[in-house]
Amino acid sequence: MNYLTQQLVNGLTLGSVYALIALGYTLIYGVLQLLNFAHGDVYMVGSFAGYFTMIGLGGPQNPMVPIWVMILLMFLAGMVVSGGLGVMIEKFAYRPLRSSPRITSLISALGVSLFLESAVLLLFGPKIRNYDTTDYIPIGTGIHIGGVTIEPMRILLIVISAVLMVVLILVVNKTRLGRGMRAVAYDSDAAVMMGVDVNRVIMLTFLIASALAGAAGVMVGLVYFTINNYMGFLAGLKAFAAAVVGGIGSIPGAVLGGLLIGFLESLAAGYLSPNFANVITFAALIAVMLVKPRGLLGRSAIVKV
Amino acid sequence: MTNKPDDSAPQGEAPAKPAASDSLHIGTDEWVAQHTDRQEARRGAVAMLAVVRNRLPAPVLWGVPLILLLLFPMMANGYLLRVGVNLGLFLMLSLGLNVVVGYAGLLDLGYVAFYGFGAYSYALLSSNQFGVHLPTWIAVPLVVIASAVLGLLVSLPSRRLLGDYLAIVTLFFGEVFLEFLSAGDTISVPWAKEPVNVTGGANGIVSVDGWSLFGFEFKTNTPYFYLLVVTCFALTFGLYRISRSRVGRAWRAVGDDALAAEAMAIPVKRLKLLAFVVGAVIAGLTGTIFAGVQLGVYPTSFDMPLLILLYAAVILGGSGSLAGAILGGAVMSLLPEVLRQPEIGEALFFVVLVIGVFKVMGAKRGAIMAAATFVVGLVINAILALSKVPHLATDDWAQSTVGHVIGPWLFVPADRMLWGNIGFVVLIVAIATINRIPRRVRALFIPLLLWLAIFVWMVRLSPEASLTRQMVIGGVLIVFMIARPQGIFGKQRVDIV
Amino acid sequence: MRSFKIVSGLTAATCVALALSACAGGSTGSTTAAAASNSASPASSSSDAASSASAASSTPAESGAAKECTGSVGFMGPITGGAASIGAEQLNFTQLAVDNFNTKSGSTYKVVQGDTQLDPGQASTIGQQFVSNSAIFGVVGPAGSPGVDAVGPPFGKADMAFISASATATKLSDGSYPTFFRTIPNDSVQGPTDADFISGTLGAKKVVIVEEKTSYGEGVATSVKDALVKNGVSVTVVRVSKDQPDYSAIVTSVANDTDVVFVTFQIAANSQVLATQLKQQGKKAVVFGSDGSFSEDFKTPGSYVSSFAPDINGIPADAEIIKQYDAKYGAFGTTYGPPIYVAAQALVEAAQRACEAGSITRADVLAQVKQTKIENALTGGTMSFTAKGDVEGAKFYVFKINESGKPVFVK
Repeated sequence: MNYLTQQLVNGLTLGSVYALIALGYTLIYGVLQLLNFAHGDVYMVGSFAGYFTMIGLGGPQNPMVPIWVMILLMFLAGMVVSGGLGVMIEKFAYRPLRSSPRITSLISALGVSLFLESAVLLLFGPKIRNYDTTDYIPIGTGIHIGGVTIEPMRILLIVISAVLMVVLILVVNKTRLGRGMRAVAYDSDAAVMMGVDVNRVIMLTFLIASALAGAAGVMVGLVYFTINNYMGFLAGLKAFAAAVVGGIGSIPGAVLGGLLIGFLESLAAGYLSPNFANVITFAALIAVMLVKPRGLLGRSAIVKV
Repeated sequence: MTNKPDDSAPQGEAPAKPAASDSLHIGTDEWVAQHTDRQEARRGAVAMLAVVRNRLPAPVLWGVPLILLLLFPMMANGYLLRVGVNLGLFLMLSLGLNVVVGYAGLLDLGYVAFYGFGAYSYALLSSNQFGVHLPTWIAVPLVVIASAVLGLLVSLPSRRLLGDYLAIVTLFFGEVFLEFLSAGDTISVPWAKEPVNVTGGANGIVSVDGWSLFGFEFKTNTPYFYLLVVTCFALTFGLYRISRSRVGRAWRAVGDDALAAEAMAIPVKRLKLLAFVVGAVIAGLTGTIFAGVQLGVYPTSFDMPLLILLYAAVILGGSGSLAGAILGGAVMSLLPEVLRQPEIGEALFFVVLVIGVFKVMGAKRGAIMAAATFVVGLVINAILALSKVPHLATDDWAQSTVGHVIGPWLFVPADRMLWGNIGFVVLIVAIATINRIPRRVRALFIPLLLWLAIFVWMVRLSPEASLTRQMVIGGVLIVFMIARPQGIFGKQRVDIV
Repeated sequence: MRSFKIVSGLTAATCVALALSACAGGSTGSTTAAAASNSASPASSSSDAASSASAASSTPAESGAAKECTGSVGFMGPITGGAASIGAEQLNFTQLAVDNFNTKSGSTYKVVQGDTQLDPGQASTIGQQFVSNSAIFGVVGPAGSPGVDAVGPPFGKADMAFISASATATKLSDGSYPTFFRTIPNDSVQGPTDADFISGTLGAKKVVIVEEKTSYGEGVATSVKDALVKNGVSVTVVRVSKDQPDYSAIVTSVANDTDVVFVTFQIAANSQVLATQLKQQGKKAVVFGSDGSFSEDFKTPGSYVSSFAPDINGIPADAEIIKQYDAKYGAFGTTYGPPIYVAAQALVEAAQRACEAGSITRADVLAQVKQTKIENALTGGTMSFTAKGDVEGAKFYVFKINESGKPVFVK
């Protein structure tokens, strides 16, 4: 029982990371129908921003900065840098392509991804960076029930992704910006005619989505310690999977998809075969897609021609 | 949206003459859609290419390259020959992907898995892995048939899926395949005590037999090169015929607008399956050749980077265009190879820079900018030398001819990494913000920007050739897509609402 | 019309470029003055490079009699891609070794980069490139064993000596690749040493081997597993993908009565993650890392790690080189530096000997590499190759990581 619970905790943590990245994915997709393959790299840059903020503040050994202030600043830095980067990417790599076939922006996104990976490698070198979370949050803190351990950072991660999901749903459904997003998503040409500033809406969408990715990047550093310049691609791929399996464009769907993949991965590794964990995960996801071709929470769109 | 037909456009030198009357679809008015094409057709380097392509008589167009290709192995050294072989493999793959993506409009992100499947199947049928050594003329057709079956198996359940949902399922398939390759060396089977080693795991399968046809053994890269020339030409010719046939037209109709095609009683689902299977067969066949060339197969060869390059090739060339797939394939296969050598990279950088400046600014202003950049360099030299900033002499840093030529002109600080990094960041920021500067003043900043670009390239990027290679490929993809979204030979689409 | 414009633009561009180069040539007189006035300033850096080089080369170097030679060393490794943290560092260390040797000898050897991205397919293309480049007299690399398989035959045909610093598969030195050398012991040395320590000194009864699904991980894991089973230890092998971001699921599945978790990651930072997660979940098992984990990145106190050198940090020449490295390229994280430094050193020294004896041909360099004898090598002691290209007298050593995260020699 303990074993199962611990594996579920592992899956929940991992799933929350995927969910956080997938939220941004699905937001951008929902508004622009754009597969933003650079999203994972935005997340990576956020992670680096958080790391260098920590180093800049003198690291965990600096007595002048309380731990929670430091963590807060790391999040802030990660979100600001990633958000800014996302807006830049949208402006230079996607905006000129908005009226072109969608696959064009896909290639552009892959270009951005390659560029960011190499640029970070160029600037910061190949050394793998370590957040060294255990230096400031000692091993043994957190919740212990029976043999099950939940680290404080894991709790934070789970809480943050739950809160962000709720906030995001509120933003999309209740605010003016959200209404703009929905309008652009539904029909951007009509939205222009209705007086929606499409460029602004898209820019803000990218800002929010990329800031989420930045937060996820810092979170991953705090929970899983090591970061490197190539971490974004695979995470982006998994998040893309999460977004699609959940029903791309659907915010609860992204979270559900992320959690599903997280659980699948840790249960497959814990119960079936760590060797084939990824094979099992992807095979299961293919099965889900074949049963529900529009994802778990996706609506089937009926287009009148 | 230009939905006003430009009647005055003379058809004179427009090469698209036969295509215009070729077929008219409901939904997209091709003639209107080609409006921009016709305008484009009269200018630009791309148009020159197209004119050359269309003006030359077929025997010359096909014969001259063929003769050159046949002579190539006699002139090339081992490296160039291998690059040629890689190019052939890449071209076959991009032609195959063009059928799936370009013609039928299916976003197949598991394409490389079929390539890997072909290579691994061939390796299993002719290596010591299971002690099976089938002759090539049996093994290759078997693998091709197996690829077709696998293609069908993957596409059959996915036929309900559209667009991005198909993309994700094929992506999963690709990942499953890749993971299976690296995990497949310990497969527990009920009838054996020890786990069976099928794929060799990360070590792959080594000592695969080379090809051998009609008693001739393929021992070096030369026969493989000829083989690839033959297969590439055959494939191009075959696809050309297919694209002109009923099936080809139907494919493009499906790719353009599946719904409209269905309304025209085109069997959309069957055509999609067919395109998928054709792609899988071509990839599988290419895989068998690759396994023979490499004499071994490894999971790393069938990973995402290859898929990215292939997609880039097809889209860069112009989705759905045969010539585009070939040209795009050539670019995406050769560019990374060319950029391996920092000397060539430097020369290329300057050529692109000069052409870029003159193309954007025109001859007169371009010349002024070049001169101004030269002066800026001298001024920076003078200022920094007078203020006794430590720097390196040309001999300490210049590796190539270009470096030695501009060596005395370029100021290279002692700490190249630090200043290079700073320069890189400043350059990116400057490029991002240059449009914010008012037009009049902008001209003043351009020489500075050019100097900075040269500085960053020579000081930081050129020594890190391998890294720069990746970055440049990324940059090329972005810039090219923005400059020419429809690809080199692609047709711009205009939807009439 | 348009094409005419382009052509004329191009012509103009070429003219300007020519003029520029001519100007540059002409203005050399004025700018060399600046260069000369500044040549004093880099002197400070070059002089300390020289002093450190002389410190590094405690070997008796006849720098006075050295002949100025030239040629290129080919480097093969994953400079970009998932394993960039290994390859980029190997490249930097190779460059450092060649630079130091150049400063010492007055020769001008160069390094040609070959980025394999750890893919044997690319490795064989680069192999052809190096064979076709007549300036290249020998190769440092490739990093992985499959890469060696891919380039072994063409290099053998071309008499091209290639020295790997991280390909550990035992079968590589069975004589099938006559020009292959390596500066690290192979898996058959590491396996028994580690296994004997685990079952003997640590007295472990139950061991979990975490096998990374890479060529390196598979090789080490298999060799350790075989040796452990022979010693009567119960072994469970858990295989993980190389891109795994999280090991908690695996950590959870490690039984509580497990004594030792043996990890075979090629990147030490991953071992650190796994060790920390073990502690977080309250598992008592001790982590034992293979040589890939011997790095400052793996710093969990109480863990063990094995290495091919008795004490890298204790070798004075090493400290010097590491200082130079840090100054030039920033911090480094993996353990792959010193062996590739030695590999590059062996190659350029062989080239120098070949050059002094006549001329640098690949066959001469190959013959000289076989004679390699580096005293006070960075990997410890005197380094020379066996007839099959392995390190002579290769041994493995075990370290324990102390409270401050530094490895301390145990056995």
